[in-house]
Amino acid sequence: MSSKTAPVPATKSKVGHVTQVIGSTFDVAFAEDSIPAIYNAVRIESDKNGMSLRLVGEVQQHLGGGKVRCVSLGSTDGMVRGQECVDTGGPLTVPVGPATLGRVFNLLGEPIDGRGDIPAGERWPIHRAPPPLTDLSTRTDLFETGIKVVDLLTPFVRGGKAGLFGGAGLGKTVILTELIARIASAHGGNSVFAGVGERTREGTDLWLEMQEAKIGDTGRSVIEQTCMVFGQMNEPPGARLRVALSALTIAEYFRDTTGTDTLLFIDNIFRFSQAGSEVSALLGRMPSAVGYQPTLATEMGALQERITSTSKGAITSVQAVYVPADDPTDPAPATAFGNLDAFLYLERSISEKGIYPAVDPLASSSRILDPQFVGERHYKIARRVQRTLQRYRELQDIIAILGVDELSEDDKLIVHRARRMERFLSQPFLVAEVFTGKPGEITRLADTIRSFEEIADGKWDHLPEQAFMYVGSIEQAEEQAKKMASKN
Amino acid sequence: MAKARALDRRRRSVRNIRKITRTMELIATARFKKAMDRSVAARDYTRQLSCMLENIASSGIGVVHPLLEVRPNKRTAVLILTGNRGLCGGYNSNIVRQSLAVLGQWKSEGIGTQVAVSGKKGISSLRFRGIEIADRYTSFDDRPAFDAVEPIGRAYLDGYSAGDFDRLDVVYTKFQSIAKQSAIIETLLPLAPPESTGSDTRLAQVKPEYDFYPSSESILEELLPASFLSRLFKCFLDSAVSEQVARMVAMKAASENAGSLIKDLSRRYNRARQSQITGEIMEILGGVEALKG
Repeated sequence: MSSKTAPVPATKSKVGHVTQVIGSTFDVAFAEDSIPAIYNAVRIESDKNGMSLRLVGEVQQHLGGGKVRCVSLGSTDGMVRGQECVDTGGPLTVPVGPATLGRVFNLLGEPIDGRGDIPAGERWPIHRAPPPLTDLSTRTDLFETGIKVVDLLTPFVRGGKAGLFGGAGLGKTVILTELIARIASAHGGNSVFAGVGERTREGTDLWLEMQEAKIGDTGRSVIEQTCMVFGQMNEPPGARLRVALSALTIAEYFRDTTGTDTLLFIDNIFRFSQAGSEVSALLGRMPSAVGYQPTLATEMGALQERITSTSKGAITSVQAVYVPADDPTDPAPATAFGNLDAFLYLERSISEKGIYPAVDPLASSSRILDPQFVGERHYKIARRVQRTLQRYRELQDIIAILGVDELSEDDKLIVHRARRMERFLSQPFLVAEVFTGKPGEITRLADTIRSFEEIADGKWDHLPEQAFMYVGSIEQAEEQAKKMASKN
Repeated sequence: MAKARALDRRRRSVRNIRKITRTMELIATARFKKAMDRSVAARDYTRQLSCMLENIASSGIGVVHPLLEVRPNKRTAVLILTGNRGLCGGYNSNIVRQSLAVLGQWKSEGIGTQVAVSGKKGISSLRFRGIEIADRYTSFDDRPAFDAVEPIGRAYLDGYSAGDFDRLDVVYTKFQSIAKQSAIIETLLPLAPPESTGSDTRLAQVKPEYDFYPSSESILEELLPASFLSRLFKCFLDSAVSEQVARMVAMKAASENAGSLIKDLSRRYNRARQSQITGEIMEILGGVEALKG
């Protein structure tokens, strides 16, 4: 990581002194008449006792008498009382614009990819107001991903927000990486990736992968169109709380100035809430439901309202949301739900069957899965698939107790087809090729719709269940069945 | 929490199912014993009858009778014996599977079939698969009466003599032992020549001398249809016994499955309930602590 800190806008700075340090929060005493405003960045730079400390904090509370309480955006190791602390006179700013493309930053806007400084250019503060409602775009175009289960049941909206909900180890990051590989490489505009409180290793993998992946046939790598911002799980809560805003600010710049479609990937929005909860406890707020901060919905709203498409340009965003203890009623994922246009819910019982992506077809949905937006045919087959799977799930207790033989003939047929649909929702991923040994499949929406219609109509009842696993269109299932038959 | 309540509701419905399956198991056990006694009684009668036929055959007179004559097969009558009720595991579906196989085979050989089905389950499954059913019987339950089977048998005899069909196959569940019943296809018409009925060898070794009065033909005229009817009746009885056994076994398994499901649901319910309580305590304590400061 670069030891250099980004230049601070030259304003008349005021100096205070650290009076208390509690974990990753600290108090600073300023002169009563020169108190920094809420959300102002304050800076500590010292070389006491041979320990070099460069730290940025953010003012969160005014305690009275010139004292302010700040959240540290870096490690507070080496801080001592009495250290000088400078008010920068404004919120934290990050560099924006074309210079950020191809680079990796921390939340302060400092490059951490070891490729030198960012040329001085425009900087935007990370705290900004969401666009006014009159500017919001009302487009509802479908955003094709080539993933069957996504396109069929939870169609993404161009310029909308999609969420990937799931417990630990269900493949949220894999799906997100897959979407980057599919969308970003076929996408003309810029992409911003925010790593919020997840594993640093995953960020590195992604960065290297993006350098290798090429955009279409242009020969340029994806990274040249992408900016990455990381505040991973090793960072203090303040950093994890603000890194999403830094990334979002960079994305907002592309939206507002270039007018192109910008992609924003966030992994993982739950860590944002979690960091907020840690900070809240340190600031002495009373915990609310399940121990979360009382301001949970406010914080989430402030972030999510800014991720939006305006008449000037669009931000299409995909966010991973960790679901603690597989409980979607937990307040953190629950507050994220309402802000999204499409959400995929990853289900453990499905991943236990070895079906990936482990999307629960009944719990997942999309705002535009409506005949008005996707068309009558798409809507009908999507609902038909859901109905079949729903019935299958209802019958599962009966099957577990009495066996399949006791079902009526109609129900037997439903079970028969539901089991095939369930397996057909799996799909080989581009990024998982090294694990599965199968090349990734990009299935066109038209093929997906046709394939599911044919399964629902019983055209493929004769194929064995296993043939439906990890294929693209239905023709590949047929082929796989033939291969399986010839092996035996 | 909604989750705990949903689990509890599910557990309650599984409990109700178990109550039913357990009752069914007890009823099936009681019925099985009765059906079994009847079947054993009929078995002895049938065996004696075929023994007699065998003895007549070996007594040196040439046995010639239309019911024994193998004709070129142009049309087969198929009688399918299933149950009126479900909840008996694979009993009905095994029969249906066998029937479809045999019907498919006749069809592929270009031989016409006339299908008769006993039992509501079989009727509905076969109708679902679009198979034309000429005759339906739904009056046979756990105690088929000979009086009820006889008209069916007579009708087949008449039809066979009249040349309406050249072969009668019965698809039913043969009761081999309590542990084993299998869905099989048995050809009742033309009656297998008596030599091949393979009856008790001990009885067969005794060779009594027969005097026929008024003639061997008239005796055969009586004996062959009687043998056919008793064998047909035996099929009905075997089916009835097998159904009860199948139900007994299936319901026992179902009760056990329900039991383990209840156990699993209880565990999950208790855990959900406990975590809900823990969560609430934590929240209250957190609130108290926060208010202190």
